[in-house]
Amino acid sequence: MKRVIPLVLVLIVGPAVSAAATDLDDVLDRSREAAYSAEQMISCATPDGFRMILARVKQKGSTINITSAMGGGEEIATSPGFWSRTGEGGVVEEASIGIEVREVIDIYEVEELGPRLFMGREASGYRLIRDGLVRGELVLDDETGAMVRATTFNDDGAQYCVRSFVTFDPTEPDLLAREVVPNEELTLVRDDASGLPEEVAGFTLLDSYLDASGLRLTYYSDGFFSFAIFQTPNRIELSEAVHVDFEGFRYSREFTPGQVTYAWEVRDQGMAMVGDLPPDLHEAVLDAMPKPIDLGFLHRIWRNLFGPR
Amino acid sequence: MRHPSSLISAFLDGELSATESSQLHSHLSSCGKCSAELQDVQRVRSAIRSLPVLDLPPDLMFIGDPNVVALRRHRYVLAGAAAVIAVVMAIATIFSPTQPTVTMDDLTSRLAARVSVDPAFGPAKLMPILDPGGIQE
Repeated sequence: MKRVIPLVLVLIVGPAVSAAATDLDDVLDRSREAAYSAEQMISCATPDGFRMILARVKQKGSTINITSAMGGGEEIATSPGFWSRTGEGGVVEEASIGIEVREVIDIYEVEELGPRLFMGREASGYRLIRDGLVRGELVLDDETGAMVRATTFNDDGAQYCVRSFVTFDPTEPDLLAREVVPNEELTLVRDDASGLPEEVAGFTLLDSYLDASGLRLTYYSDGFFSFAIFQTPNRIELSEAVHVDFEGFRYSREFTPGQVTYAWEVRDQGMAMVGDLPPDLHEAVLDAMPKPIDLGFLHRIWRNLFGPR
Repeated sequence: MRHPSSLISAFLDGELSATESSQLHSHLSSCGKCSAELQDVQRVRSAIRSLPVLDLPPDLMFIGDPNVVALRRHRYVLAGAAAVIAVVMAIATIFSPTQPTVTMDDLTSRLAARVSVDPAFGPAKLMPILDPGGIQE
């Protein structure tokens, strides 16, 4: 009789879980294939205060155009592996990479939350659970697949960022994929010279790139949140940073709507972490990276005059 | 003669003439106050003379230190060397190329290209790049 009980439990629980669960890739694939025009607002409650941005968005599959709804007159255009920022005088900056990237193995359990109504339209809700904690709630428009609302959470259940459409037009926009211009191209590096860990706080190192200036980008993802570690022979300047200490080490930090940047210096290079991960994960990620050092006065003068050794 | 306090010290120092000494002795013989003062001054002088004589510690004898003398002798050379170093550093500061710095735009530019092939890619991953400042409170 004792052997029968676990078997019965499996029979009952097993189908219930599989019926409620879905795959994160399926959800994100639907979102990436969407076509629509919208105004999207991102608002974030960060440790350094409130951050908010409103922008006009057009998406047609993997081609996305964004213009600020708060003035500025700039436009961001992306296609897979390429992005550019265009101002009134033309292209301001752009960058491209080879699109051969390593597949992400996400660590999320996805719960279906059932039908929703969003702006009077039928939609579906999903909850993302990572290590037993709710980290995200997504709402996808049923007709277009557009991710019309995404809420991310800290480990204490408090909201970190809300990304929500405030207007929505499901009509497919007239949007042409931009020609990929290999300018400022980042070259995929297949080595481990970055000296960075393969796994950190549930994030997996996916790939590493170099540009002509010697700046290295190493990209991490957990399947939903992502961040990049930058290593550069030059000093990194953040214009509106605050100083924060973790485990006795000092970093410069700047929150922008939906994104955080940390910058610090090690002996022979500047480093930065840029990503959309919630604040409670920052310390674990930084703790696994090379630690900041306080350069001496003469060392700073030497480095400012002649660069790093 | 009034109380000649100033003559008492001079007397003890042997600086009075014979006439002055004679006059002082006449006064002392009839003036208890001045006699007592003379005895007090003599006691103080005896006490001072009885103190032991100490040698100065060697490190107070710096005037004769040959190293200090050498430094003083070469102070113009040292000042000149310091001036040359200062000029070299100033020239290096002015004429060496300024080391480039990396800004937030440089970082987000590279990140945007990589993020565009992220499985979770969407407008939200790009909007911080459009307007990094946004609205802050």
